[in-house]
Amino acid sequence: MLFSAPAFAAGDGERATPVAGGMLTIGADADPIGLDPTTVTAFSSSDFLALIYTGLLRWNAGMGIEPDLAVSYEMPDEKTYIFKLREGVKFHNGQDFTAEDVKYTFDRILDPATASKLRAQYSSISAVTVVDPFTVKFELEAPNAAFLNYLATAPDGAIVPKGVEDLATKPVGTGPFVFESYQPNQQFTLTANPDYYEEGLPYLSKVVFRFYKDQSTLSSALRSKAIDMTWLKDPKVAALMTRTSPQLVSAPGQTSRTFPIWLNMKAKPFDDIRVRRALSLATDREACVQTVLGGSGKVGAMIPESQVGGYDGVGEMPYYRHDPEAAKKLLAEAGYPDGIDLGDYIVVAANPLDVACAQILQQQWQAAGITVKLMPMETAPLLNQWSTGTWPTLLSVALSWTPDADAIFQYLVSDSKFGKAIGVSDEKLDAMIAAARSEVDAAARAARNMEIQRYIADNVYIMQVYQYPLRWEIWWDSVKGYEPLAANIRSFVRTTWRDE
Amino acid sequence: MKRMILARLVWTAAILLGVSFVAFMLVRALPGDFAQAAAGAQNVAPEVLEAARRDLGIDRPLLEQYLIWLGQAARGDFGNSFVTRQPVLGELLPRFIVTFQLTLIAGIIAMAMGVATGLASARLRGRADWIVRIYNGCILAVPNFIVATLIVLIVGLYFPQIAIFNYTPFFTDPLANVSGLLLPALSLALAVSVTISENTRAAVLEVSGQDFVMVARAKGLLPRTVLTNYLMRNAMTPIVTVTGLQVATLLGGSILVETIFAIPGMGQYLFDSITGRDYPVIQAIVLLASAVVVLVNMLVDIAYARIDARAQT
Repeated sequence: MLFSAPAFAAGDGERATPVAGGMLTIGADADPIGLDPTTVTAFSSSDFLALIYTGLLRWNAGMGIEPDLAVSYEMPDEKTYIFKLREGVKFHNGQDFTAEDVKYTFDRILDPATASKLRAQYSSISAVTVVDPFTVKFELEAPNAAFLNYLATAPDGAIVPKGVEDLATKPVGTGPFVFESYQPNQQFTLTANPDYYEEGLPYLSKVVFRFYKDQSTLSSALRSKAIDMTWLKDPKVAALMTRTSPQLVSAPGQTSRTFPIWLNMKAKPFDDIRVRRALSLATDREACVQTVLGGSGKVGAMIPESQVGGYDGVGEMPYYRHDPEAAKKLLAEAGYPDGIDLGDYIVVAANPLDVACAQILQQQWQAAGITVKLMPMETAPLLNQWSTGTWPTLLSVALSWTPDADAIFQYLVSDSKFGKAIGVSDEKLDAMIAAARSEVDAAARAARNMEIQRYIADNVYIMQVYQYPLRWEIWWDSVKGYEPLAANIRSFVRTTWRDE
Repeated sequence: MKRMILARLVWTAAILLGVSFVAFMLVRALPGDFAQAAAGAQNVAPEVLEAARRDLGIDRPLLEQYLIWLGQAARGDFGNSFVTRQPVLGELLPRFIVTFQLTLIAGIIAMAMGVATGLASARLRGRADWIVRIYNGCILAVPNFIVATLIVLIVGLYFPQIAIFNYTPFFTDPLANVSGLLLPALSLALAVSVTISENTRAAVLEVSGQDFVMVARAKGLLPRTVLTNYLMRNAMTPIVTVTGLQVATLLGGSILVETIFAIPGMGQYLFDSITGRDYPVIQAIVLLASAVVVLVNMLVDIAYARIDARAQT
């Protein structure tokens, strides 16, 4: 692991005893769009949902899975999971939590009429059965190693109360905090759940999110202590802030996000593997890590290090060495002896890190005779081109953390939405991905995932540059007991307390 | 006079109808929509996005969408924001007040600076005139977002004790509220002040040469009296007109200035709504801003007619 995460911030975990009470103010950069975990599509909602709802399982600080609303589970066979549920848990509206709610939650996700984005990742569930009020059985169509990871992820595994309407605006969960009020663009307020099932938790009596749409306002709000905690997008800003104010704690967490270049392989010149390999050879990935991230990241492959079998940034990957001469030779073989003009390279204009990396790549490729024209674009039309496969040659949009490596590989499955957009059609790869998904043994699965990543790098189906934590979390050291999580949510606000 | 006002009101309604139609079609012509923007870079199934579009009603034919929107707008319902699912009007009003405050302060600054420099340049002539005119030329050449960025940079570097991104609501602390708006208002006001300055200069020069001013001087009136009672009074008409017409510039400029200074006003709201493709919000703001501009222009015309008998036909 590149980043060591201290068990407790500022390393005084054993000295101080948690104090109950107090308020935590968090600076957020985006409003939630809907608060029903089943129907939500926006990533920005997760941060809020993760404190209101809980699921059967959850991630611990080391990204291991532990029981949450479940107390234990057993697997009579590879396709069946039986969960024993916690008793005496109440939803925020006073309703008792039982197996019926679990069944209701998943039936609702799987009902096509709900149009839940989660339906795809739970599509392997064939039945959810209530065995008794505190026992629930999941039957899968095929072994699925990703299943438990999805359940552990907030809000993907969040359990909603049966028969409660309007969760999108009036969320009701079992989580440590209860929704109090929301003023769009201004403030989102949560209060401690007095009936929360973990003894003594949460310590805080109130959590307030304040919205600051841009990074400079966010960092000056933190500096002026208008907020206690936030996360920043640029590691260099976070590093500078902790250097100038030693009372600020910055812990980046594990790498959870990759910066890929999506190649349009449906047409010339990227339908030729030699051109793709030449591009990979022309790229000095380590230089990008050093310049753009100030070293706070690693060379990336298809899945980040926080996933099972994630690439560690140093292991050997095909065509990852920086060799402009070999790149030129490959281009000549492919029929471009005088170099090649790849046209537009589209990047997210609103993301300075992406633009900075693209500029460096442009220079690196130039040395191998590859010319691109940078085209920073507004996010909405960029996403439109990306998801419909209409970008001309190269496009970059970062891949954020997903609950399971399989979700990342899904981008490259033939005939899927993105498979078609990219123009990948490879039965061997499809079979490898399917096999990895049904491999329940973690070590064996890690090996398979690594094999898939090598295969993708060898074929340069997608060109990965680097991996890094999605956000650089930063907070004043009067905030104790908090831990950043690679899963991109602030689950550990439940163990956070104020030392003042 | 009544007839003229009535005719102007009918004309105003027609303009707003046209604006609403163009704004409606323009935002929908932008590539990318709300469903896609909200899903971001996640692998979301097409049918999920389709369901979201259906839910918002943006999958229907454009004309149908427009007529539905128009019907609701006619009854004062501007729909709900896609992001927050709250009525647009309720979200817009507090922001409109912030922008109104900002443009008002900017207007006052622009007026004060413009009239002062214009008057100085017209009365003092010579070197003062040149300095003002060169200054005006420079300011006019620099767009307000560059001025705003420079102010942020300079204050951030040399006056760290001044909080730049620190908007305080009026009812929390009126003084902090107004002082927090001064720098943004200044960056908004500079370009406008130049227009006012140039027009003041021209108007004062024109009036100075007129017979009644000479007569007033010949009567031996104090120069101050000539200035306030004869010169400025007559020069004021074009100055007021020009200032009124600058409301559109101020409103337009507030989009960038509010975004740069993180002021939770209508401009910042519009910027966020455009990037997030929150159609109902964009439409409501464009309509409201157009209404303000058209109404101010109408008021200027009416005021002009009242001040100047020649315009009353």
